[in-house]
Amino acid sequence: MTQLFDQFYNFVGTDINHFPIFAIVTLFLGAFIIAIVGKLNKTLRNVIVFIVTIIPFLLMLSLIKPIMIDGGVINYWMGNWAPVGEWAIGIGLEVDALSLFFGLIVTLAVFIVAIYSFTYMNRDSSLENYYTLFLMLSGALLGLVLTGDLFNIFVMIEIMTMTEVALTAFRVDYDGALEGAMKYMVVGSLGSSTVLVGIAMLYSQLHTLNLAQIAASLPSHQNAVTAAAFAFLFIGFASKAFLFPFHPLEADVNAVAPASISMIISGVITKCGVYAIIRICYILFQNIELPAVSISVTLLGAVSCFICVTMAFNQHNFRRLLAYHSISQIGYVIMAVGLGSMFGLEAGLFHAVNHTLFKGLLFLTAGAVQYATGSADLDKLGGLVKKMPQTCALFLIGAASISGLPPFNGFASKWMIYQSVFEKASETGNFVYVIVVVVCLLCSVLTLASFIKVAQSVFFGQLNPEFNKPEVHEVPVVMQIPMWILAGLCVLFGVFPNFIQKYFLTPAATAAFNVTNYIDTMLGQGTAAKAGIQQTEIGTVSSIGCWQPVSWLWLLLIITCAVCLIAVLGSNDNKKHATALNAEEKVSDLVGVKQSGAGRLNNVAADASLKGVASDHLLSDQELIIISRDRTIEDEVLAGEDPKYENFFSGEKSEFSQVGGSDLFWGFKHDMRHYFNFQKDWHSGNVNDYTTYGVAAIAVTLVLAILFL
Amino acid sequence: MILVNYIASFFLIALGFYCMAVKKNLIKICIGMGIADYGANLLIVSVGFNPGGTAPIFTMSELTQASFFVDPVPQALTLTSIVIGACTTAMTLSLVIRLKEKYGTLQADQVRRLRG
Repeated sequence: MTQLFDQFYNFVGTDINHFPIFAIVTLFLGAFIIAIVGKLNKTLRNVIVFIVTIIPFLLMLSLIKPIMIDGGVINYWMGNWAPVGEWAIGIGLEVDALSLFFGLIVTLAVFIVAIYSFTYMNRDSSLENYYTLFLMLSGALLGLVLTGDLFNIFVMIEIMTMTEVALTAFRVDYDGALEGAMKYMVVGSLGSSTVLVGIAMLYSQLHTLNLAQIAASLPSHQNAVTAAAFAFLFIGFASKAFLFPFHPLEADVNAVAPASISMIISGVITKCGVYAIIRICYILFQNIELPAVSISVTLLGAVSCFICVTMAFNQHNFRRLLAYHSISQIGYVIMAVGLGSMFGLEAGLFHAVNHTLFKGLLFLTAGAVQYATGSADLDKLGGLVKKMPQTCALFLIGAASISGLPPFNGFASKWMIYQSVFEKASETGNFVYVIVVVVCLLCSVLTLASFIKVAQSVFFGQLNPEFNKPEVHEVPVVMQIPMWILAGLCVLFGVFPNFIQKYFLTPAATAAFNVTNYIDTMLGQGTAAKAGIQQTEIGTVSSIGCWQPVSWLWLLLIITCAVCLIAVLGSNDNKKHATALNAEEKVSDLVGVKQSGAGRLNNVAADASLKGVASDHLLSDQELIIISRDRTIEDEVLAGEDPKYENFFSGEKSEFSQVGGSDLFWGFKHDMRHYFNFQKDWHSGNVNDYTTYGVAAIAVTLVLAILFL
Repeated sequence: MILVNYIASFFLIALGFYCMAVKKNLIKICIGMGIADYGANLLIVSVGFNPGGTAPIFTMSELTQASFFVDPVPQALTLTSIVIGACTTAMTLSLVIRLKEKYGTLQADQVRRLRG
């Protein structure tokens, strides 16, 4: 096997430098080919989509050895416009381990979504447009993470925004699709303009657009303009990662886009925002070590995390709820990235890839539910476990991962985040980090609570009679394969976190700290030293010993068994008790029938009021017997169950009383109603308000940056 | 005076953002997006301007150390940015047309089925 690899790399030789551009061009080329031939033949179209999405993934995989393991950096000058006298004129691609890490996320997600789309989208018309836009979006995302040019990043962001808007509105007749697209268009263009202004300001000071050259010359050119440029760039990229206060948009967009696109938006587009933030904070401005930047970024993450997890609590739409959770998880990532420590960055990167896996899985299961039932309304769905057992199992894996249960991947990365924040808190003694630790833990609990609610509302509980028909069944195998791939990766990443850390996280995090290498590869050896950039010391990373997924799994299993045992024993006991009660009642009924006179009237009254009969004086003995018999039958039908426990919230029987999305935690919600009302008013759905929040965020960041940088 | 350009460009950007944040009419919001874009374009062009410089068009033999010209890169950027701006406007207007058909209104505060 190793020989085979060696042979491959020998065969490729230095041509491996062309792989990144091949990967990007394949996707764009695929988009144009589909535009031409997509209409002709459905099979041909699907084959082309399959080929052009798997090739970039394979190319990225083949880059793992030279970049991740050997620690190299690939640079590629488009059109061979190599730098002249240390001035980079042309556009260059620069792929270090950080870029490759995100490149792998992008290509994997794109490949999986492509397979999923074959079946998921088959009821829609004009699919050639869908695949053209989808491949352009993928190409833009890959280009964004692999490029080494700041303006190129802007162009890719714009392509991304356009195609994303078009894809959101793809199902034009779906309620709200146009609205979500319109809102994202307006506020997204606010973010894009901000990025453009930031780039212009940076260019005015440094007269270059190459990332490596900016990184080399920025430390000696720090002034108010570059500080403002940092603020503009940061907010622009934060708007692409949908961080607070841009989070309502992601909910709007994800609730109405096709589920496959939702996975791309929440799993990949937000990651590209995170990538850009890491790039500017760690490589370009190298200011993440400053306490002001570090604290602001971490707090931004914590605020996004908390607000979105509470917003998710109130949602009645499956995908809207998932969308809020996705920003909550991105909040975790940004929180860890903002710490500026090696371990923090590793934790953030790990959570980023895990988030793509489990949130992708959850969105795909939501899509599967919608595909089968045609609804994503938590108040309408229910009891689908009988209809769609596999989808339910997949959903539970995803839910366990996102809630951080061992042995799934969410547990491993959340553990790393807790540890890194904790270390930072003890290192700096800053009280802010203590609050952040508390917020972290609180959000994790709320995430679990909210997924219990979703599981109850969608898969367990009563089946809505509307869906109790043969048309509602398990989704086709082609749709299940991508979900099982994601679920398998969720488990693998959770069971072997050390492997992932060794081969992926540590190289990527090291690359983010290794600014000199980044500059030297691009502009020639010694450039960084000439510019006065010191080789940063890269700290070693050690995880504290308690992180043992398997032990935690045993603990979890034991506790689950204990709870189940109690539940089983308890239910038996209840039954006996109820049967005994029943028997007593029957006896008393019979006695009541045999009795005559005033004494029996009481009993009659009790029966009559139960049945809602208005008068008890006119009842003859015969009627009484009928009533009593009815009641006995009813008791038998109930088979010893007290109607009080029929459902979660009421003692009344009804045709279909699904636990609505709002009812499982109604007590908690009632207690927090002022907060929830405030949140609801604040997320008004008006595009003007969202723009105002964005402008306010720009203003605040600008003031902060000029004050502190 | 190049300072006028900078002031004007930031004024335009602020005006555009104001338009997007305050105006209720979707068409006006679209115009606001355009204005903010033009502000950014003006900023980029101004950044590359050298007082007294010539147009950056030379053949290899004409180019000497003494040639003094304006920075060509921002002009290329501005061209790209103008194209993107045109796309944005077209896309937004097409969405507005469909929204008007579907919701029967152009008022932004009435287009809010997705909220909370």
